[in-house]
Formats: sequence, structure tokens, C-alpha cells
Amino acid sequence: MKEGIRIKKYDKLERLLGELACGCGCGVTGAENGAAQAAAGILSALMPAQIDALGNVRGEAEGEGPRILLDAHIDSIGMVVTAVGEDGFLKADKCGGVDIRVLPASEVNVWGKERLFGVITSVPPHLSGDKDGQAPGFDQLTIDTGLGSRAKELVEPGDRISLAGKGMQMTGKLYCAPALDDRAGVACILRCLELLKKSGRSYNLSVLFSVQEESGGSGAAVGAFSSQAEEGISVDVSFACAPGIPREKCGELGKGPMIGIAAPLDGETGVRLRTTAKSKGIPYQLEAMGGKTGTNADELSVSGEGMKIGLISIPLRNMHTAAEIVSLEDIENAAALMAAYIAERGRNDA
Amino acid sequence: MLDDMLRLCSIPGVSGCEHAVREYIVSAVGGCGACSTDALGNLIVFKKGKKSRQKKLMLAAHMDEVGLIVVYITDEGFLKFTTVGGIVTGILPGKRVLVGDGKVPGVIGIKPVHLADKKEASEVPGADSLYIDIGASSREQAEKAVGVGDCAVFDSDPVEFGDGLLKARALDDRCGCAVLLDLIRSEIPYDTWFAFTVQEEIGLRGASAAAFRIEPDFAVVVETTTAADLPGVEGEKRVCALGGGAVVSFMDKTTLYDRKLYDMAFRLGKAEAIKMQTKTLVAGGNDAGSIHRSRGGVKTLTVSVPCRYLHSPACVVSLSDVREVRKLVYALIGGMTDDQAH
Repeated sequence: MKEGIRIKKYDKLERLLGELACGCGCGVTGAENGAAQAAAGILSALMPAQIDALGNVRGEAEGEGPRILLDAHIDSIGMVVTAVGEDGFLKADKCGGVDIRVLPASEVNVWGKERLFGVITSVPPHLSGDKDGQAPGFDQLTIDTGLGSRAKELVEPGDRISLAGKGMQMTGKLYCAPALDDRAGVACILRCLELLKKSGRSYNLSVLFSVQEESGGSGAAVGAFSSQAEEGISVDVSFACAPGIPREKCGELGKGPMIGIAAPLDGETGVRLRTTAKSKGIPYQLEAMGGKTGTNADELSVSGEGMKIGLISIPLRNMHTAAEIVSLEDIENAAALMAAYIAERGRNDA
Repeated sequence: MLDDMLRLCSIPGVSGCEHAVREYIVSAVGGCGACSTDALGNLIVFKKGKKSRQKKLMLAAHMDEVGLIVVYITDEGFLKFTTVGGIVTGILPGKRVLVGDGKVPGVIGIKPVHLADKKEASEVPGADSLYIDIGASSREQAEKAVGVGDCAVFDSDPVEFGDGLLKARALDDRCGCAVLLDLIRSEIPYDTWFAFTVQEEIGLRGASAAAFRIEPDFAVVVETTTAADLPGVEGEKRVCALGGGAVVSFMDKTTLYDRKLYDMAFRLGKAEAIKMQTKTLVAGGNDAGSIHRSRGGVKTLTVSVPCRYLHSPACVVSLSDVREVRKLVYALIGGMTDDQAH
């Protein structure tokens, strides 16, 4: 790697992201146990943590202020095995909104009886006649496990497949890895809890690393019900500016977390987040959305008797690919903003 | 040989930028052969065998690989690129790359599928719309790390998987380089010339200069060739299969091979119990295309390792096939006799 890209300040955050995004077991929607166990392990050093009936990671801490729910989803998009061929090739379908355009010639982890490496098939120019144009459908794609007839012993329909890729730092304090949607949010909450611990004070917090966001938010719905919190913040990722994306639909990488404004979101929480950011000198961007937010916040706000929910989004490029990119600085700033917000709520409530 | 393959597949060497591959091979050859580099960058190695013979044999493998080249840096710090050699656009979006000698990490960006309309979401983005994102936020920042003319390769570490398979970038043709290197470091029956060529992927260019200089009577090109042994592909369209052994071609898009050499290769292979197959589709081409027409003509043969997903970040070969190719090429060194040159 080119000297000078690495920023030492973010080494710890990078390690945390690396463990959550590509150093743990399976975290694909509906089969999140590998990622959930990893997150629960880290969370339990900060507060008592458990895994609920749907597979959500839940932590509860007692202290000052109103009970605040902090949510980020633990699941990531991927695929599900639909058939295993005698020749060691797998058929699969999407599990969450995987972007089929990036799949040919990609590397995957197949979560069978053990973790297996696989390659998604592609047609080389020597045979395709260099016809570009239509992206293949799932009926045309297969996954090469290289196992021949042995594949049937190790993989069965229903097993999940995740996009493989290592984590790496890039120029501009950026970090690239698969599944940063939304392990970046999970890392952000863990980092926020560390900051609060350092401050020496404790607060009434419920932490939820929710399952099944990519398939409709069932995890958030039941997790919020169990927490009994009346207010909360959800941390997810949103679109970062890149060529071809309308400016009004994206936030800039490295310019701070995005504070959401939308019908399902509590306006007062949004204003408080902005006020806190301003008073602490934390950079932020605004993200106004028509209708629903497309995040867990939609589910959380109507769980039980309803919840006042705020949304913090971390700008991310190449969403739902194996090369998602976030700014380490944005995650750190989002964590600092949440920590300051929680401390503020604790003070005002006292 | 595997160790060499893993190392060779980790070195960037896009056509025209093969120097790092060449440096590795020169140091790996050590005292086992006499190295020289020609004007184009071809590495020519002469290796003494147990015996000399009148006719010259040249073994060739190309050092270069397909990749990308930076052609422009936008005001916002994104790198516009074009392909070097044949790469289908459909495998580019969302892939990671390493840019320049500094191996600066980058990603070929794609508009999120959430923001794509129905048509966009099912189409491969146009080649013109693609860019490399290295994380720079301005041209000035980008230029501190990379420059126009820098080459980029896919960021893809070699992985052994399945039943004896290897996934890597650039197996085409570092497989051939590894086989040649292994022969140079072994005892071989006859004096042999080895050519590690440049610019194969943009038109078999290095090999023509190398063949002119060496002036061989026979040549064997050691390559990878496309294997389409995939579900839904039937009969001759499968071309050749992983695990089927060394591939010897009778014809491809650039060469009609010498029939006597072709038959001899299968005879030798049979005698030595080497697993062999032929290519069932006239597709692809390689350095044989320029070598066989060098000077007054050179009797040429190609021996290949079957390779799935050629020219992608995730090429796949079977290590058993690489071993069979090595055995066959060794047998050919001994099997070429002076009278076959006529």
C-alpha cells in the first residue's frame, strides 16, 4: 500500500470495522448469527448483552436520563442457495437487494457446513464476442465452489452466501469493505458507548443490533418493543456523492454524519441533534426525504405505542456491493455526536 | 512451482508495464540460465541442457496481463480509464483495483441500485461511465498518489479452494511463466531458449521480436486457455475442462498448428501417461500467432492450462493441470528431434 494512506488515529476503529464487516461469521439477512455473536461479544464488554428470539443483539444499561434506544442493523445483503449441482456449482437467489450488476467474477463466502470459498461465474471476452449490455439474471449466474460432487455434502438449499472482500484503508481517511451497510452503524454505536464509558457517567440505554432490515425490518420491530424505550436513534448508511448520482440524493464523504428529516422521524430529536452538533463543533449534513426513510427508523417509530426516533446516516459509496466505502472520520463524528446527544439528554432530564 | 505461481500472480504487470514481473523472474532464475532483456522488454533466458542439438527449441510464456490504464483525472479526483487487452465491461463495476507502481487502492464505482431506474438496474453500465475512485476529493489530491498513464490491476489475492483449485488474477499467463521458471531450475535434456514475452494481450507483439532474435526451429507456447466447463454449456462449447490435463490445440484464432507436432505431443503424452485434452472450439489466440510466422517460419505448438473466467479478477485453474502441462513440456524438450524440423 502507498505510504501515507494509513491514518494511525483510526487504527482502532478500522480494526473494529474489519472484525464486524469481514472478520466474523455469516451476517446475511435471516442468518445473522455469525455477525451477531461477534457484535454481542464486543457489546458485552460495555453492558449486559443477549440475543433475542429473532436473533437481535440487545443490550441494556442503567443510569441517567430517559431510556434511549440506539439501533443499527446487523444483517447485510447477500444470496441464498437454491440448488446444489453434482458438478459443484450452486444456483442462488438474492437475499436482500444485492446489486446483480456487480456479481459476475465476484468472490463469495458460502456458509454451508463450513465456510467455503466460491467464485461467481463470468463469460470471458474470447467466448462472449465482447457483447456488453444486459446484466445477467440469477437464472444465468452460478457459483463455482470447485468441489465437484462433494459440494452436496457441504452445502444445501437455504445456506447463505455473502460477498467476500477484505477491509482496506484508502486515500482521504476512507475505508472499504463489504457489509459496511450497516456494520458501519454497529461500529458507530459501539464507539459511542466507548466514549460514554470514558466520560465516567452511565445512562439509560437500550442497544439494538437488529436482524432482517434488508428484508423489511422485522428485527427492529420486535427489538424496539422489548426495549420499552420511548425515544431513540437509528444509525444507518446513506448514499454518498459519486459520479452519476443527483446531488440532492447524496451526502459528501468526510463532511460529517447526515441528520435525517422525514415524516417518520421526530422533528424535535432532529433539531436537538443539530443543536448538539453545532455546540460541539461536529460537522454534519442534512438529509431530507419525502415519505419513508427506507431504514429501520420507519419500523421503530411505529413499534408498540410509537417512539420518537432520530436518524443518523453515514454516507457510503457503492451500496450493496463488496466494495462499500465510508469515511472513518464520518463514523467517528457520528459516534461523538450521539455520545454528546445522550449526555445532553441525561443532563436535561436530571 | 506453486510458490512461484502465487508470487507471480501477486505482481502487477499490465501489457507495457511488465518490469516487476521480469525482475521477479530474473532473480528467480539466478544462476540457472543466462538472462538478457531486449529492446521491448522481453526476457530471454538460455539454459544449457545435458546435450546440445542442431535445431533450436524456444519455449515462450507471456509476462503481461490484461488490466486498465488511467487516461484522465476529473476535477473531483476520479480516474477515467480504458482497458488494456480484452476485458468485458460486465465484470468491472464494483471491483477493487490497485493503481500504479505504488499499488494505490481504488474501486470501480457504481451508482447504487436503489437509485437506478428499472432499465439501469438490469444493464451493465456503459464503459464510458465507469471510473476508479481512490478516495481523492480533487484532481490535485489524486495526482499526489497516481497519474495519467498509470496502469491498474484487479486487487485479487490468490486463494486455493475447492478440490485443488487456485483462484487468482493474471493466471493468464503467469501459469506459463511459473512452468518455464520451474524448467529453467531443473535439469533438462537439451539446450533450450526461454522467452518471457511482453505485450501478448494487445496483439502478440513481444513474441515477434523474441522469436526473430532467438531464431528457433521449433517453438512451444505455454499458456492458459479458456475453459467453459460450466453448467448450461454443452458439447464443443465447453472448449476444455479443468482437471482434464494439458490442452494441446490444433487451431485457434491466430494459428493453424503443425499437425506433426500436434500428433507427436499426444504420442509423447500417452507414452508418459500425461493427462491431455484438446480444445474443442476454435477460440482465442496467443503468441504462437506471431512466432510461427517469424523469419522463414517456425513449427509451433501451444500447450495450455485450462482456465475458467479468463481475463477476470477471479481466474480459476486446477493445480493438477499445471503439473500435467509441466510434464508435457518437459517431455517435448526431449522429444523434439532434428528431423522433425523438416
